[in-house]
Amino acid sequence: MPPVGLKCRCCGSSNIVEDDLYAQSQSVCADCGTVCSEGRLANDPVGGSVVSYSYTTQQSKKPCPNLIKGLHRVQALCRVLRLNSEIEKSSQTYFNQACNHESFIFVRLTKKEALAGCCVLISCRMYNWPITAGTIAYLVDTDPASLFRVYLEAVKTLNISVPAPSVSDVIEAHCQAYKITSEHVPEELAADTKELTKRALALVELAAESWIVTGRRPVPIMMAATYLSWQSLQPTKLRQKMTLEKFCQLAKVDKNRPATKRVSEMKEMLCKLGNELPWKTREITPHNVVQQVEDILNYRFALLRNALKSYADSSNADPPQFDIKEIPESEHSLKTESCTVETEQQAHSATDSCDEPNWGKRVLFAPPCVVNAKKKKREQSNQLEVTGDEEISDSEISSYIRTPQEVRNIELTKTLLLKE
Amino acid sequence: MDETALERYFDDSIANDSGFSLGEGWMMRFLKARGGAKAGGGGGPGSELPPGRDWPRPRPRPSSTDHDDLTRALPVATEAEEESQGAESNTSFCPMTPMTPMTPMTPVTERSGITPQLQNIVSTVNLGCPLDLKFIALQARNAEYNPKRFAAVIMRIREPRTTALIFSSGKMVCTGAKSEEQSRLAARKYARVVQKLGFSARFMDFKIQNMVASCDVCFPIRLEGLVLTHQQFCSYEPELFPGLIYRMVKPRIVLLIFVSGKVVLTGAKERAEIYEAFENIYPILRGFRKH
Repeated sequence: MPPVGLKCRCCGSSNIVEDDLYAQSQSVCADCGTVCSEGRLANDPVGGSVVSYSYTTQQSKKPCPNLIKGLHRVQALCRVLRLNSEIEKSSQTYFNQACNHESFIFVRLTKKEALAGCCVLISCRMYNWPITAGTIAYLVDTDPASLFRVYLEAVKTLNISVPAPSVSDVIEAHCQAYKITSEHVPEELAADTKELTKRALALVELAAESWIVTGRRPVPIMMAATYLSWQSLQPTKLRQKMTLEKFCQLAKVDKNRPATKRVSEMKEMLCKLGNELPWKTREITPHNVVQQVEDILNYRFALLRNALKSYADSSNADPPQFDIKEIPESEHSLKTESCTVETEQQAHSATDSCDEPNWGKRVLFAPPCVVNAKKKKREQSNQLEVTGDEEISDSEISSYIRTPQEVRNIELTKTLLLKE
Repeated sequence: MDETALERYFDDSIANDSGFSLGEGWMMRFLKARGGAKAGGGGGPGSELPPGRDWPRPRPRPSSTDHDDLTRALPVATEAEEESQGAESNTSFCPMTPMTPMTPMTPVTERSGITPQLQNIVSTVNLGCPLDLKFIALQARNAEYNPKRFAAVIMRIREPRTTALIFSSGKMVCTGAKSEEQSRLAARKYARVVQKLGFSARFMDFKIQNMVASCDVCFPIRLEGLVLTHQQFCSYEPELFPGLIYRMVKPRIVLLIFVSGKVVLTGAKERAEIYEAFENIYPILRGFRKH
């Protein structure tokens, strides 16, 4: 029997008959004689079976081996990080969901591994478990940028809103990594972890108030806070002389280059607040601020209020003089470490010619990227008013096309180079 | 005359309505009564918009900042009123302290006064004929072609300063222009170059695919606060990227917001979308301004 619905491709008639010629059967159109199809050995329906193999075999779909491996990976990550069973279960659910979604089904295995890390990170965030994305990136052996891409995609796919991370949550876990108790180091350099954490947390919160934290990586900030906290717990000469690098070596943590910058930024901020202390005997500078840190932290809210108030009063009272005063000070302080005054003066002179108001220098605390704004080479804003339909001159277009001589030279050079 | 009309208006409103609302028209009526004053004169900074553009009107958005704007608006009315009265003004009109919260009106005072500047336009055009890329790379001065790296010729022109990717199918992508018209002009110039090289290039289906703009709100922004209140739109990972990624739903624009107050808007197909997105985000950012 010829298949139902088969039509002759020549005349379109459906009057097809099976013609057994020799050993092979053929479907032939009875009206015009065209052979519509030849019989195959198995006599399969033309155009393939309508019903797919997987449907007819009645076999239940087995989970893909890569998915099983991925789920094990998620479990392993959770065990390494010593997360509780709820977070583990939730990570596995997210991973399952994401892997079965169309945006992750056909991705490479490396991306799936990153996805495993992202699911663990998402679950930790949902349960407020303090963990940094850097840790996850390290564990799944990916660079943070690609982890970020996968993370964004995963969040979009799973359609969940993940609470944002906060530095204050992670600082405790961070401080515990420092081997700085009396068991590990001599007594004069030792510090109690609880005290260290408490003070570092207060420093981080204060830094957040003065725009040092927003937009920055948390690890250098936490390191700087821990270092200053350690120094200020016992502000002896020995501790003051110890640099951040030596401190990291002592505490057996990896050093971090941006942490040095954070230390200086925090010290500047502490100086500004320290200078509001009613009982200060001399000018507080980054050199001697460490001794005052305890007092500053104890009264930080009041000091912050006073500092903002006195700054507002001074800038209202004499705005032009403020700039003039800066000039001799900056000459004097050129030899000192990077000082806000100096940088602000530089920023001021740099933006003098610029039209943009550098509002960073008009406030007491501003994000460092605003205060130290790099003077970008402004290319002439080519605001040429065009309509898009102007006449295009031939000469201009010709200037973009090579002369025949040039073309010949290039071909010659190419052949010479190829010969070599 | 003006003073009594204004007083009457306020007295009536307080007497009648507990949810005292200043309708859109009160400022207009007052100023008309004053005579000759330009509407929205008290607003001030909203007038630097590019002329001749179809500027989308901002929608009224009830927010805590609007209350401040309105109370600020009242003394302005007083000043204007005093001006008109002249030196002998012995006005008994005092700025009213609202006893009930006012619903915000749509207005000029709410506009940011900042115009995002377009930085990059990406457009595509179909030249309508297959192209021999090797030939183009050989014959054109401003072209580079490295088939192992990328399967298109990269061509550049000086005015407007743009770059084009020309594919063998005849399709072309033009990037780097600072306005829609410049992008169109640049695309036409590239098409002319290809034409001059001997191909029957046409200029079909020119379309702007993406527009990127940036601006500065000139105050620092608490990104951590913003991500807490607008969690479903925001993504902020300081470990990975210093800016906050805000995916606005209407219009469908992605904004990169930085702590310095600089904002980058991208994903627009039209200029109006960019302006609308910025006007939508500005009051939100103002809410996270810290002094």
